[in-house]
Amino acid sequence: MANRSELGRKGNQPDLLAGLIFIFIGALGLWAGRDLRMGNAAMMGPGYLPLIVSGLILLIGLAVTVMGLTRSSEPIGVFRLRPLLIILVAVAGFAYAAGSLGFVIATAWLIGVGSLADPETRLREIAASIVVLTVFGILVFIVGLGVQMQLGPF
Amino acid sequence: MELFDSLILGFSTAVTPTNLLFCLIGALLGTLIGVLPGIGPTATLAILLPITFFLPPLAALIMLAGIFYGAQYGGSTTAILVNLPGEASSVVTALDGYQMAKQGRAGAALAIAALGSFFAGTVSTIGLAVAGPTLASFALDFGPAEYFSLTVFGLLCATILASGSVIKAIGMILIGLLLGWVGTDVNSGSERLTFGAVELFDGIEFVVIAVGLFGIAEIIVNLESPESRGLIATKITRLWPTRDDFRKAWPAVLRGTGLGTFLGILPGGGATLSAFSAYTLEKKVSRTPQEFGRGAIQGVAGPEAANNAGAQSSFIPLLTLGIPSNAVMAMLLGAMTIHGITPGPSVMQNQPDLFWGLIASMWIGNLMLLVINLPMIGLWVKLLTIPYRLLYPAILLFCCVGVYSVSNRAFDVALAVGFGFLGYLFRKAKCEPGPLLLGFVLGPLLETNLRRAMLISQGSPSVFIERPISLALLIASAALFVLLLVPAIRKTREEAFVEEES
Repeated sequence: MANRSELGRKGNQPDLLAGLIFIFIGALGLWAGRDLRMGNAAMMGPGYLPLIVSGLILLIGLAVTVMGLTRSSEPIGVFRLRPLLIILVAVAGFAYAAGSLGFVIATAWLIGVGSLADPETRLREIAASIVVLTVFGILVFIVGLGVQMQLGPF
Repeated sequence: MELFDSLILGFSTAVTPTNLLFCLIGALLGTLIGVLPGIGPTATLAILLPITFFLPPLAALIMLAGIFYGAQYGGSTTAILVNLPGEASSVVTALDGYQMAKQGRAGAALAIAALGSFFAGTVSTIGLAVAGPTLASFALDFGPAEYFSLTVFGLLCATILASGSVIKAIGMILIGLLLGWVGTDVNSGSERLTFGAVELFDGIEFVVIAVGLFGIAEIIVNLESPESRGLIATKITRLWPTRDDFRKAWPAVLRGTGLGTFLGILPGGGATLSAFSAYTLEKKVSRTPQEFGRGAIQGVAGPEAANNAGAQSSFIPLLTLGIPSNAVMAMLLGAMTIHGITPGPSVMQNQPDLFWGLIASMWIGNLMLLVINLPMIGLWVKLLTIPYRLLYPAILLFCCVGVYSVSNRAFDVALAVGFGFLGYLFRKAKCEPGPLLLGFVLGPLLETNLRRAMLISQGSPSVFIERPISLALLIASAALFVLLLVPAIRKTREEAFVEEES
């Protein structure tokens, strides 16, 4: 990830990452709520608490970042891109396919692509997983529980 | 005897065929995920939450509760036999349990763990039945000011008893609160923090956040590290403990039950904290502390009783006050909300069959676990040989279909991808996602009550100090906060969690 090169090997890296996430979310909250009316304590507007809390998150983010710079150094551990990207892409593909292409294609994509995240998976296992889980899914989710999703693209 | 009548009502509701069936399914599923490492009760509840929408409310709650306490049983089985704690709460069980197994006393350890858990479950179920109505009638008089203070107190407790950095946990709670406010503001009708997305006008679905942070993120993290599997130490020959084992174990079970019941009630407490505290306690009171770590039966009996007692009694704040004390209870609150039930003191008055039925089912479930588990231990251990690479695609499918089915739209699945990524980053940053979930479910409650209280007092914060219960809760919160700043206490707290992290 980008953070690794920026932060170098100094500092408490989990804390620094946490600080960055908090700062980002706090700032995002302040930006998203910039047009909301604050109101006052007796008649709180829609923006009253969200803006206060966003500000607090931002402050905590700064505090955690400072803590991360001063505390004993601790590595962040490995980031493995393979499982991260493959799982996210598999689920995102399911989301896309569920809307238009139907359950069978969405599931086949999810299982087929998702299985690649584990390097030990064999092709025959993937094929078997796709068949078994698609049939299971149709029977349990679509027929049994009545989840509202079409089976195929038509 | 009002309690007696209520319990009869509870048992008559719990023994209907449907409810018994879902109690059994819950207990079996719980044991299964307890045995399997890499999938915990929080993630399982998140994944199965949408499916419970298709069940009657009581059956849904019975099944979800069964998964939770069933996981405590299952986790200890693998902790003892293969030195592989299936759940965080059984980490300490492995310390002495596995040593006992290596000495050929696996049967005794398993039997004591199961019997101790059953005893603890029974006691804390009675505790819930006794304490529940009292607390609930007390809470019926709560106004907005009391509820606000109670929520603040609950959230703050959760950060202190949770493992890891306190300031990060507070940050996570605040992020949860913020996420809980996404959508249409009930007072003014204006859209908040939606970035213009129509799909977010009704707010973010609980299931989306739960599945993203706990389901998807957990799968990714599990796939990062290679599988580790222990080897089964010995064959189980003699299941029944010796008389000497019983003599040593029963005081430990009693102490564990008491400690677990108490710690489970506290916000942020629950099974894991109870087990760790019980182990420390047993080591302290033992006359032969050097035996611990070398197969002391007290080291199995105490924590096992405590984690089950803690698991049961953590239902108390949820069912009586409507305040979940940990992430699992937040899931159950989510399940109740899906069925249109608002947890809190009114549940016991308006739907006594639901409250008492759930309590009775917990005792029945514990009995089922005892009967199912001891003879089936061999089968559960065989399940350990299923590789994770065959399991996780099925878990993924449950995640995706579950999220989709909540409102039948693909947008939620896409949103879950985002939360999955966020959950992954949180784990890398050593931020516990549990407090975020608590903040999320309590956010709307906190805001509504704060607004009401301040509206009544015309903007004067003195309303929180003038009402005695509210004042007491705020003083308690402030005291907790100050305690955290005292270095000595901070150090003890950090030490208490060291074993857990290692």
